[in-house]
Amino acid sequence: MDRVLELKDFNVTYKNKTKKVYAVKDINLTINKGDSLGIVGESGSGKSTLAMAILRLLPERNTEITGSSNFANKDLVQASEKELKEIRWKELSVVFQKSMNALSPVHRIGEQIEDIYRVHKPNARKEEIFDRIKALLRLVNLSERVFKMYPHELSGGMLQRVAIAISLIHDPKLLIMDEATTALDVVTQGQILEEIVKMEQTLDVTRIMITHDISVVATTCNKIAVLYAGELMEVGYVKDILKEPKHPYTKGLLSSIPSLSGEKETLTGIKGHLPDLSQKYEGCIFAPRCEHAMEQCGKSKPSETQLTGENRVWCHLYSQSDRGEQLDISKNLAEVNR
Amino acid sequence: MVTTKKGWYVGRKNNNKLNRTLLKVKSDTELKFGLIGLSLLVFVAVFASLLVPFDPYFFGPDVLNKLGENQHILGTNHLGQDIFSMILYGVRTSLMVAVGSALISAVIGILVGGIAGYFGGKIDLVITECINAFMMVPTFFLILLIIALFDSSITNVMIVIGLTTWPSNAKLIRAQALSIRERTYVKSAVAMGETNLQILFKYIIPNGIFPVLANTTIGMSNAILTEAGLSFLGLGDPNVISWGQMIFMGKQYLTSAWWISTFAGIAIVFTVTVFYLLGDGLNHVLDPKHKSRKDA
Amino acid sequence: MKKYVTKRVLMGVLTIFVVFSINFLIIRLAPGSPISTIMGKDNDDPILRAALEAKYGFDQPLILQYFIYLKNAVTGDLGLSIIYNKEVLAIIAERLVPTLLLVLTAALLAVVIGTFMGMYAAKHEGSRVDVFFSGISYIFNSMPAFWLGLILIIIFSSVFGLLPSYGMISSRTTLTGVDYYLDVLKHMILPVSTLVLVEIPIYFRIAKSSIVQTLNEDFIVTLKATGMSERKIFNKYVLRNAILPTITIFGISMGYLITGVALIEIVFAWPGTGDLMLTAINQRDYPTLMGIYLIMSVSVALVMVIVDIIYATLDPRIRF
Repeated sequence: MDRVLELKDFNVTYKNKTKKVYAVKDINLTINKGDSLGIVGESGSGKSTLAMAILRLLPERNTEITGSSNFANKDLVQASEKELKEIRWKELSVVFQKSMNALSPVHRIGEQIEDIYRVHKPNARKEEIFDRIKALLRLVNLSERVFKMYPHELSGGMLQRVAIAISLIHDPKLLIMDEATTALDVVTQGQILEEIVKMEQTLDVTRIMITHDISVVATTCNKIAVLYAGELMEVGYVKDILKEPKHPYTKGLLSSIPSLSGEKETLTGIKGHLPDLSQKYEGCIFAPRCEHAMEQCGKSKPSETQLTGENRVWCHLYSQSDRGEQLDISKNLAEVNR
Repeated sequence: MVTTKKGWYVGRKNNNKLNRTLLKVKSDTELKFGLIGLSLLVFVAVFASLLVPFDPYFFGPDVLNKLGENQHILGTNHLGQDIFSMILYGVRTSLMVAVGSALISAVIGILVGGIAGYFGGKIDLVITECINAFMMVPTFFLILLIIALFDSSITNVMIVIGLTTWPSNAKLIRAQALSIRERTYVKSAVAMGETNLQILFKYIIPNGIFPVLANTTIGMSNAILTEAGLSFLGLGDPNVISWGQMIFMGKQYLTSAWWISTFAGIAIVFTVTVFYLLGDGLNHVLDPKHKSRKDA
Repeated sequence: MKKYVTKRVLMGVLTIFVVFSINFLIIRLAPGSPISTIMGKDNDDPILRAALEAKYGFDQPLILQYFIYLKNAVTGDLGLSIIYNKEVLAIIAERLVPTLLLVLTAALLAVVIGTFMGMYAAKHEGSRVDVFFSGISYIFNSMPAFWLGLILIIIFSSVFGLLPSYGMISSRTTLTGVDYYLDVLKHMILPVSTLVLVEIPIYFRIAKSSIVQTLNEDFIVTLKATGMSERKIFNKYVLRNAILPTITIFGISMGYLITGVALIEIVFAWPGTGDLMLTAINQRDYPTLMGIYLIMSVSVALVMVIVDIIYATLDPRIRF
């Protein structure tokens, strides 16, 4: 299978004079062509940092990125500003959360789109640009009238659609959506998610969906990566993980969403808060909040455990070395899961 | 909030509001320098009579003493008055004008703006339009006109500055009142039958006063500059020593005795800078959105 | 847009109305009778007194006096100057050109220089130049302009003898053509520099803070993500957004400048309205003084309305 993006030992650290914050730690992740990967986590889990670091949009002055991120035969971590400019939008584009502020308020939308189009095709004719945008706007159910409008004249949902259309201008290989629908009302969010899925049937795009809302992933992604405090907890196919989550944190996340389909359930959620990321921890980062924490969890970091297919989990409950203990635990787990 | 379920978990410390404010004061350079400067000014104003080497009201021989001549550190003016002593006494005048006019301006502004914002509706509309119109009036000319026609005593100067500069305060408190009146504690006070007046003075004004505080400090700088400008036009109070008057008097001796105007001006620059620093610093500390440079 | 412009114009009219009313009030409240205020304290010409009483309707009820006063003011009749014995409006009109020359030159120079300094400081935030600019802007912001003018005279006229310190033209020569204009230009240097120096901090601060703020906007990140060159992002998108507060400040600051210039004219004996004002104060020529106040207020209101309309054409969010 074609690899689109491959992260190896990817770390992002924010630093200032007095302290360092380890925002993203030791990420190993591969995205194949045609995948739609949802990266989920609570706010502060480092998911947006991860996206911004892949895009190399974090201020260089106070961030440090290590490891490698291979995309289009280049390591984006090492790429020069010039190389990045070549890749940006042509191969790799992004839709941000705050669509209301994603466009300049004092320029017409059409003018901004034109400028963005010309970044890679400076000599494009006006009609060519217009035809392209018209097609894309149709794809997201917008009329071409928005071309002559200013951002404040559009609703949040419409602006988000414009942002999606703009992101597709140059047929990027990889599209990152950072909480792209979070700010919208539920109905609009549903519509746009539906459009995204439908749109991709005709396009050849690989997508990363950053969200705190696991239900968004459920409807629009085939793979999921669960992030906690900047570390991967569990990665795999959405259909497997939603049915049978392995990591206690994933279970917690899933139990935090109310089920729409009927029976009354108590939402267990997860107790406690994210740890202080300016500290380095010996053990599993989730252990302080984990109901199944064992002695081992405070001592060493769990290593990657390969499960069926591409599914992987980072948890001592499944570590090879603790096999014997694991059997006991899985009994406990069954009980907890009811 | 802090869960220390397991020993290795380090929770966030729960600072209270006061501590955080104090921390901000310490870390804000503008406010720090402003406070140091203000202490110095207040010290000089209080102990001026003990600090001066000469009586500033004493007319010496009509000789322009140069710097350092006959123990006059900063020389004398054409009437033989000691410049250094005059400058120290001038602190009193400047601070008096600054504080007096700021108080008047704040009280009127808070009342007018508070009423407009709290009652809203038509009252608000009328008051706001009046404030907007008033803000476009060139205040310095108005003050000048009034002082020229009426008496130019320092009290009058203070009152007139106060009476003409309240609109900016009114605007600020009105915006605050508009949002405060929607808060739960105000709504419950209404439900409990407290009168409008009680609510205005117990909840709206005390909670919305902070931006006015910063603005008032900046208003003090402007008051000092205005007083100096009036004195420079010969509209100062002849019975008090003020820096503006010193500059005014020194203007005729610019070539022969540059020190008369120069040092009085430096005193104004220093004092006004102190109040500007205080105002900016207060704005930083009171504005939750402001980040100090160290955090960024 | 139309609605906005109408609203602003009405606001301007309201302001002028407020100014006139305040003026009326001041005359009635001033110590002594209003007629002696208008005539001058030492003047007792009974014929003039009778004529003025009839004209201003001092025997009528106060409310009627108010309307008479308004009618006169609106038709441009600001009364007679006591010392010049001429129409106040005519005297002021003569002095307006030199004043406008100073004000406009200084305003344009200050906005250009201040904005460029702010742009530089914003691009290099935290650099030595930025710290220097910011520090010095505090000091100049705190300076009484008239004092700065005196200091410039001490330095450039007294000590170095480089520039003329008073007047608009050299008094002992009769220059014509280019020489005349060069002479005026030379006389303008010090007063204009004074005004520019005290105005620069205002534009510097607003330009710097709004550029820094715009650079942190989300749409800048989006544009960076598209691979657009930094230069294009800055020149087209950052500047266009960041210039808006400068325009607002320009209007407010023009208001200050129109009044502030009076003191500077006095320092440099510049034959403008400020100079006229000083004479009026010293000679107790109240009609002239009030006339200057009215004309200046109307000018300020006019400038503010114009600036607001320009702002509206540049910010699409205002077109309701």
